[in-house]
Amino acid sequence: MTTPILEIKNLHVKVEEEDKEILKGVNLTLPAGEVHAIMGRNGSGKSTLSYVLAGKDGYEVTEGQILFHGEDLLEMDAHERAAAGLFLAFQYPIEIPGVATMTFLKAALNAQRKSRGEEELKIPVFMKMVKDAAAKLEIKQEMLKRPLNVGFSGGEKKRAEILQMALMQPSLCVLDETDSGLDIDALKIVSEGVNHLRSENRSMLVITHYQRLLNHIVPDRVHVFSDGRIVESGDRDLALELESKGYAGFDNHAA
Amino acid sequence: MNKDIKLSGAEEQLQALLLSHGNKEAAAQFAANGLPTRRIEAYHYTDLKSLLREVPSALAVANDGASAKRSNFDGVARIEIVNGQLAGDFDVEGVSVATSGNTGTGDDSVVLLSEALVGDVVEIKISGELDQVLHIDRIIDGDAAINADKVSVTLEDGAKATLVETYNGSDAAHLRLATTEVVLGEGAEFSHFQLDGNSSATRHFANNRYELNADAQLSTFVQQSEPQVSRTTVSASFVGGGAHADFAGLNMLSGTQHGDITVHLRHLVADTTSTEVFKNIVNGRGKAVFQGKIDVAQPAQKTDAQMMCQGLILSERGEVLVKPELEIFADDVLCAHGATCGELDENSMFYLMSRGIPRTEAKAMLIRAFLAEVFEPVDVEAVVHVLEARVDSWLQEQEEA
Repeated sequence: MTTPILEIKNLHVKVEEEDKEILKGVNLTLPAGEVHAIMGRNGSGKSTLSYVLAGKDGYEVTEGQILFHGEDLLEMDAHERAAAGLFLAFQYPIEIPGVATMTFLKAALNAQRKSRGEEELKIPVFMKMVKDAAAKLEIKQEMLKRPLNVGFSGGEKKRAEILQMALMQPSLCVLDETDSGLDIDALKIVSEGVNHLRSENRSMLVITHYQRLLNHIVPDRVHVFSDGRIVESGDRDLALELESKGYAGFDNHAA
Repeated sequence: MNKDIKLSGAEEQLQALLLSHGNKEAAAQFAANGLPTRRIEAYHYTDLKSLLREVPSALAVANDGASAKRSNFDGVARIEIVNGQLAGDFDVEGVSVATSGNTGTGDDSVVLLSEALVGDVVEIKISGELDQVLHIDRIIDGDAAINADKVSVTLEDGAKATLVETYNGSDAAHLRLATTEVVLGEGAEFSHFQLDGNSSATRHFANNRYELNADAQLSTFVQQSEPQVSRTTVSASFVGGGAHADFAGLNMLSGTQHGDITVHLRHLVADTTSTEVFKNIVNGRGKAVFQGKIDVAQPAQKTDAQMMCQGLILSERGEVLVKPELEIFADDVLCAHGATCGELDENSMFYLMSRGIPRTEAKAMLIRAFLAEVFEPVDVEAVVHVLEARVDSWLQEQEEA
């Protein structure tokens, strides 16, 4: 059997310099080509899981491990994880005034290529890549001329995240509440962008509150997250069940 | 006047120098006050009695400056002032260069020293619109010396010019006292850049004074990043309606460097406007100071003066010290002052790193982004290159430190 893209084993995490444990024994296996959804209420630890995967400072793993393509993910710095093929689409993409979007995209792509021992992209090749990917997501060129995420609407920010994802061609996409702040049309565009990237070599972890996104990005598996762990897993019908019963119906379940 | 002030060794030396320069009056005035201490409000964060414990014993003497580092830009009209002596002439239509004796004086001890020790004033008169950028390279050559020089620029009504000044010198512990005076005639437009190429051991004091007549437009930029101690004072008087000025500057400090930019604007008549944007980056035990004073006189209705100062602290022991002072006697004015200070934003760092950008590079991107606002209005390509190159090399030095 081939190595899963992501394996999380008994992951316990707390915030550095605090005692409160946020993740309390997460187990998850994400095989290549599959899309898994993690659903849970606010404060259940979903976003922490996405930050720990991406390598944000400030968290301490007290127990357990994460394997990415069979390698110890926790040994890698955030930028190494990105170069190795992990991409986090942020719930709230950060606005960075003074950094032009195109400058950022070029720096990010080339940094990843460099760490993989590949040559830098030629400017015309880069320009064309961005133009093509942007057109699919209905991102106007004018938006790319602005500083990174500055003055973007909620929907534009999310589209910009998916644009980055399309350009970076990661093997694992973690989408943290990508549906938040999107109207129906934007949700459709973003979902199509994501679906377009589904492939047998790429897995996705879709974190969301609502079933709605899963009508557009249909998952292979659904996991219910509560109080820092997965309490129930099933196929996409579980999401529908969750929608009718609410999260309360799943509290105190053992995984 | 306090006759009993005890002078430090450095102060006694400066007093002796004033006497040997034949200026008894200035020597007596200096002896009565000494170097400014923190008790003087304008020097609140820059106590010169303690920062200037040692000063060179002699004035810089005439020298061809053959061994000094210089700044050279393509396509500009260039003159040099080497150890206070004018070398060269601007070969530009509408510009005349002459020298004259100095009669300036001042209450502030640094201004007093600067004025009293100047030999010739370099006087530049500008009429009409210049096509070429003017460049003055102010050089101190030879062994450690006290060097006072002065440039006086007059823009006639409607004149339009850009002046880039560079400070360069030999690698010695000079005490530089530089004065630049600019009078903008009615409707004149002037862009003024001061780039720092001083040696690291230099103590640099620059006094910039501007007078803006009706409808004059001024923009200025000061860089401080090289000397052990540097202080630039920018003062401007708005004496004609419709005058507008943008003041900008940068302290970029590390090690134990001390950099002070002190601005004093006087809005004296109705309908004048000003903006100030100053950025400070400190690493190590660097200390950046910004003081911004705005006076709005009673007749100066409709004054609009906006002051902003931002600090970025890259180390535990770096300091950014900021003080605004506003004195407003008119009732229909818009005056605002703001200051921010902080470390690099962790969330921004994480965002960039999560996209594959290594920490060092991410940090550099955010530092350049912090500076973007103050570099953006710089429209002289040669200046942009110098500033960007210095930021790059500075970032490199911080990584290696």
